[in-house]
Amino acid sequence: MTFRFDRFLIVRLACIFVLASAPSAQAGEFEFSADEIARIASHGPWPMPSKRDTGNRVSGNPAAIHLGYRLFFEPRLAANQQISCATCHQPGKSLQDGLATARGLQFGVRNTPGLWNVGQQRWFGWDGGHDNLWSASLRPILDPTEMGGDTKRTARLLRSQAELDCLYQQAFGKAPDPRDENLMVNVAKAIAAWQETLVSPATPFDALRDALLRGDDAAVARHAPAVRRGLRLFLGRGQCATCHAGPLFSNGEFGDIGVPFFIKPEGVDPGRQGGIKRLMATPHNLLGRHNDDSTRENATATRHLRPEHRNFGEFKVPSLRNLRYTAPYMHNGSLATLRDVVRHYSEIDEDRLHSDGERILRPLHLSESEIDDLLAFLESLSPDDPMESPAPPPKIKACNGTAGRPAPHRQGPPNGSRAKN
Amino acid sequence: MKSRRLPAREAESPADRVRHGVLHGLMPLFVLGASCAIAQATCPPNEADGSLLKRDSLQLAWRPLLQGDLPIAPAAIPMAKHFALTVQLCDGSAASKAVLKKVAATMPEHRHGMNYQPRISSLGDGRFRVEGLMFHMSGRWQIEFEVLNGKDVLRLLHDVQIR
Repeated sequence: MTFRFDRFLIVRLACIFVLASAPSAQAGEFEFSADEIARIASHGPWPMPSKRDTGNRVSGNPAAIHLGYRLFFEPRLAANQQISCATCHQPGKSLQDGLATARGLQFGVRNTPGLWNVGQQRWFGWDGGHDNLWSASLRPILDPTEMGGDTKRTARLLRSQAELDCLYQQAFGKAPDPRDENLMVNVAKAIAAWQETLVSPATPFDALRDALLRGDDAAVARHAPAVRRGLRLFLGRGQCATCHAGPLFSNGEFGDIGVPFFIKPEGVDPGRQGGIKRLMATPHNLLGRHNDDSTRENATATRHLRPEHRNFGEFKVPSLRNLRYTAPYMHNGSLATLRDVVRHYSEIDEDRLHSDGERILRPLHLSESEIDDLLAFLESLSPDDPMESPAPPPKIKACNGTAGRPAPHRQGPPNGSRAKN
Repeated sequence: MKSRRLPAREAESPADRVRHGVLHGLMPLFVLGASCAIAQATCPPNEADGSLLKRDSLQLAWRPLLQGDLPIAPAAIPMAKHFALTVQLCDGSAASKAVLKKVAATMPEHRHGMNYQPRISSLGDGRFRVEGLMFHMSGRWQIEFEVLNGKDVLRLLHDVQIR
């Protein structure tokens, strides 16, 4: 008995010694404080728990996901029948286009946002002109400068194509709606259902976060010192996490960060101010009849929205996940590289900021080595390998010999390619 | 305008009938429970009413609620998520007549407020519910309650650190 007691005492003392000496395993500048670790923890876990869009009756419905995938690559939705959603949101380019500003039927004025993790957002578009994903999916189809589609043509396509008609019936449990407007909204809801499945893989940052929470110093030490120094800068002096918060590294709201909002040849992009006006004007917002959540509990943000003078020139705080693969940057694609972005914040022009705008933005005056550290951290927010095409949608009951797989089409992702998880 | 007809009782399944029967049977208890809740709302506020602020004879207790009316401490208000508040006012009399006129929140260091406009509804007996708040950034927020107490307009402030 005495022997057992002594043996356990030794084991306990050994454990205490190991625990007490644990911090020294990641000693010096790489030892995060408890407060820092708590803040790092708030950027996960990843992936986030999936959530169903209560405003979209076919959210999570396999047939709707399948139909949405099919329609995302469907050029017959466009006026010229040559472009589709995938023209700007290209599967091989992190679901954006790599251009400074979008190019649909005409030249756009804003950068095409990537679509990975889009289902987790509150507002959609750089100006948040949409409060739900299906409405955000509908606009570019109908916008004359983007796809130039129209409701009647889309409805005709759905009703006349046996495969689409069949997929629709599986998704919605009935034949395509005889009312074109409703049918158009349901097309957008199916496209949204597919986009909700776009979840990007875990990143080196996620591994670092999880290792810190486990207290796994050996795993923490495998991450480059520059990444850890950059993370500390991101949380601390940089104050980046004030807005780039949570697992998405975005608070989902809007800010003016001194990026010019002038549009050539003349004019300005009003940003959030214009977005709020568009949001309140559209019949497709969550306060409208197309919201499938009869409680309207999903409309809290829209119902309580308060327009402010400072909204002029504000743009959405973008997620920082997958940054390596989504250049160029900012709402107008004006910064070509991540280094340009960090330099922008380091030497921010305060004269460009609203007088009633964000007061925490001050030039950081980062040294070159600090810029390198911050870049190393920002790059850790992307998967190591470039993301390829999203996974194909789930198999469903065959429609006209398609065996439940999407029909081949020109702009679809290559067969068998999928995101590396 | 068409009126909606309630489903005929005969069309209910046996399970529905049992459920409705139980609900009808329990209804008086629900009413009693709600009455008790209101009765418990009498002044002065207690811990269940939340954090306490005082100004002269006025006491204000407030408690944040997350989605699903989950009560939390002010320090646990999450960033960039909508939340609601319950507010209990006590003006020193047995039946408080103080009125909550406005709830706002600002980040003094940032010189801006919320992006959302809260709405106040009175629940009676000095109790109020405030919907639609969101602290969209980390840092110090100052929440302001404007109360009409008799002829006086009182402002009660409270700092909350959002992480």
